[in-house]
Amino acid sequence: MGDVTLTIDDRTVTVPAGTSVWEAAARLGIDIPVLCHDPRLRPVGVCRVCAVDTGERTLPASCVREVQEGMQVRTDTDEVQAHRRVLTELLLADQPPVSRREATTGHDQLYALARRLGVGTIPWPDGAEGHPRGEDWSSPVIAVDHQACILCDRCVRACDEIQHNDVITRSGKGYATRIAFDLDAPMGESSCVSCGECVAVCPTGALTHRALPAAAAGEGSQP
Amino acid sequence: MKRFEAGAAAPALDEIREVPTLCPYCGVGCALAYGVDRAGTIHYARGRDGASNAGRLCVKGRYGFDYTSHPQRLTRPLVRRDAAYPRGPLSAFSRPGASGPRKPGGIVDYAEVLPHFREASWAEALDRVAAGLAGVRDRHGADAVAGFGSAKGSNEEAYLFQKFIRAVIGTNNVDHCTRLCHASSVYALMEGIGSGAVTNVVRDVENAEVAVIAGCNPTANHPVAATFIKQAAAAGTKLLAVNVRRPGLADYAQQYCQIRPGTDVAFYNAVMHVLIDEGLHDRAFVAERTEGFEALRAVVARYSPEAVAGITGVPADEIAGFARTLGRARSAMFFWGMGISQHVFGTDNARCLIALALLTGNIGRPGTGLHPLRGQNNVQGASDAGLIPMYYPGYQKVADATVRARFEGLWGVPLSPEPGLTTAEITHAALEGRIRALYCMGENPFLSDPDVNRVRESLSSLEFLAVQDIFLTETAEFADVVLPASSFMEKRGSYTNTDRRVQLGRPVREPPGEAREDWRIIAALARRLGHDWDYADEAAIFDELVAAAPLYANLSHERLGDNGRWYPCPSPESDGERLLFTERFPIGRGRFVPAELGEAPDLPDAEYPLVLNTGRQLEHWHTGVMTRRSLALDALAPEARVEVHPDDAERLGIADGDWTRLTSRRGSVQVQAKVTDDVALGTLFLPMHFREAAANLLTSPELDPYGKIPEFKICAVRLERLATPHGEIAQHNDTSDTA
Repeated sequence: MGDVTLTIDDRTVTVPAGTSVWEAAARLGIDIPVLCHDPRLRPVGVCRVCAVDTGERTLPASCVREVQEGMQVRTDTDEVQAHRRVLTELLLADQPPVSRREATTGHDQLYALARRLGVGTIPWPDGAEGHPRGEDWSSPVIAVDHQACILCDRCVRACDEIQHNDVITRSGKGYATRIAFDLDAPMGESSCVSCGECVAVCPTGALTHRALPAAAAGEGSQP
Repeated sequence: MKRFEAGAAAPALDEIREVPTLCPYCGVGCALAYGVDRAGTIHYARGRDGASNAGRLCVKGRYGFDYTSHPQRLTRPLVRRDAAYPRGPLSAFSRPGASGPRKPGGIVDYAEVLPHFREASWAEALDRVAAGLAGVRDRHGADAVAGFGSAKGSNEEAYLFQKFIRAVIGTNNVDHCTRLCHASSVYALMEGIGSGAVTNVVRDVENAEVAVIAGCNPTANHPVAATFIKQAAAAGTKLLAVNVRRPGLADYAQQYCQIRPGTDVAFYNAVMHVLIDEGLHDRAFVAERTEGFEALRAVVARYSPEAVAGITGVPADEIAGFARTLGRARSAMFFWGMGISQHVFGTDNARCLIALALLTGNIGRPGTGLHPLRGQNNVQGASDAGLIPMYYPGYQKVADATVRARFEGLWGVPLSPEPGLTTAEITHAALEGRIRALYCMGENPFLSDPDVNRVRESLSSLEFLAVQDIFLTETAEFADVVLPASSFMEKRGSYTNTDRRVQLGRPVREPPGEAREDWRIIAALARRLGHDWDYADEAAIFDELVAAAPLYANLSHERLGDNGRWYPCPSPESDGERLLFTERFPIGRGRFVPAELGEAPDLPDAEYPLVLNTGRQLEHWHTGVMTRRSLALDALAPEARVEVHPDDAERLGIADGDWTRLTSRRGSVQVQAKVTDDVALGTLFLPMHFREAAANLLTSPELDPYGKIPEFKICAVRLERLATPHGEIAQHNDTSDTA
């Protein structure tokens, strides 16, 4: 495989063929926001927040799109920004009002993205009204808040491809789609070995550490 | 319309800083960072991109850190009250016959034990320890004193402790728990290739075509290492698992051979028989880099797969298939654990695996090598630093006059030429009055040594016992003086993981109350006994260790940095050697040492018809001193279960969860049953962590003649269903733990 030369935001970069646009941009120090991707995981391009303008009819997800010779990429056009903003607003519309991640370990990537994009009022209906997707407190160490889940599958890939425990999958359809443990068992009764890799990769408050009583400040530690 | 409040993250988190350090549990040596607040409370652990973990952690590393801030931490020195003599166990649980349902936490009952001690000043406590040890030395000779160090302490602590016993007390009676896990592997490795450390790192399994997983259960005991092995299997590495009890990795293995207890030598000899018979061995490697092949060939010739099938329970064609997969592989790595080493023939078992690697030419290239998986976070380092009765730091023989002269020069004192006693030998010797004083740092022999009843007598018979630990352990119940020490999170020090990587642990909090860093306690005792021990800090101790043990050349605290280095480290700039013995072995050629199938001392008969196997489980750690004080780990795995095969359970009328009595020729415990076909018919498995069902009440104190490791894996037992748990102990459930 040879090298490919392309232009990102008017800067030229040469990378090995097969590199993703997101990785090529990272090499230039250009930070393209992303929620479903983690450099340690196989990219799947489901959240679409990393979409960029390559001059095509639609905006491809940069985490999965491979570089092409002579490609002209723009990462910050008005159209790209509007696209990211709408996606972020839609994802936020049914999020819990407070991020459990920000109350435990910090680094809620969805909330951080909303701040970065200056999201204030959310002009979309809250799908959770009357249809909450539920919480799971059956594990002594990991809290599951399905309402905060954006179905990015990072936990699924981390469980399968990093720890190789193969516990997490999906169940349900439409808005009721949720991550599931084994055949939709409560997490504490599933084959989960509590390695916490899913919590480490989750970009939202969907999978978080349950604060240990000794460390709990009293807020957000228990249901 | 909903609004997003763009406020900053929770303000409490602003106070949290992340300290890069290590996980305190197993030998994998995962790099992590703790999120700590100003009060020293750890809020979370985050995996760092360390050489052995690449950001991964397991349940113990991720959630098991809170033991260090448990309210039962020892905060002031304790001295046994006069009324608490003659010395014996202070809690009902540690007296003979105690077994059954646990009290909350399953740990020493402070309310029962503490009244037998009074608080003392450090000055008084240190005076008493110094006088206790020196008094016995002066009356009965230095060899009447012994020390137990710990594989959970740092290299610096291990070094100082052995130096204290050798240079200040004047005996080589210093040992630690390696004796209970890999002493036999180390003996066989030293003999076979001239080095006791691993030849290759775990993560190189990704370059191996075949990985032999022998007598180990990495998914429970080295969970993060197991993720790399599973990842390799997913990418095409063929796993060949051999075990008495089904290991988690069997699910990912091409072949799993469930051998009968104690038949490892027969199995591997038969594998070697096939390899030689079918010409699948590496003739060039054998010719150029080994010696003793003919002797090996003569022995394994008698172990045909057909002859061995009936012994091991593995069909002859499966043994042959195993040999062919291994023999045809371009590269193979060999991992092993306690299932190999913890036998009276543990050294022979390890000899077979070493011979297998030599025979197939699988040492010295990427994706090949010998890897005895080390248990505790510093098993490798504690051995390297000389916590071994026959070796000074760096495996230099005590019995070698030239070496001894060098250490006498380095330490400025005359040293004993007699190799000392090993852990189990020390407890035996105490019973005979040959050992009269013991200094025990961070170990809990009451539960970790075989045959608890014998250990109890042994601890009771000592003239003087000093225990230095972070909690009141079962062993501390016998102490004259208890010194409150530092936990992993409260000190700086280097730790050497199973991959030979030396990494730096950093303090994240202050020791509670008047508790002190271990090295300061040891140095203070040395000063009281007239030795001018004046170390500026931990780095200075490490520098002295490097000077004493050339093995650690080119390393220093500063050079270890955030990510550590492998030893041997050829230059100050190098990251160290990942792969050893590419050209030659330290003893020149590798040595084949043939082994014959031995017999376990404690075999089943009509009265004790089943074979008990003991070991660890994922959520817990050794005698439970740490993990059972972790809220998360205790919640995940609160109780002991004895694993029973479904057919045995049916025959004995035992259902899952039933209370049972498990009796060996030495003792009896009560424990609930877990019915599972992970264990073979006729065998049981009991984890060693639970004092209320202490596996070592049952085990046999017989030792391997070379490694002096006890027989923890084969013990004849009887299993009976109990209608109700033991009445007397059940009453204890009513009183709550003090905590």
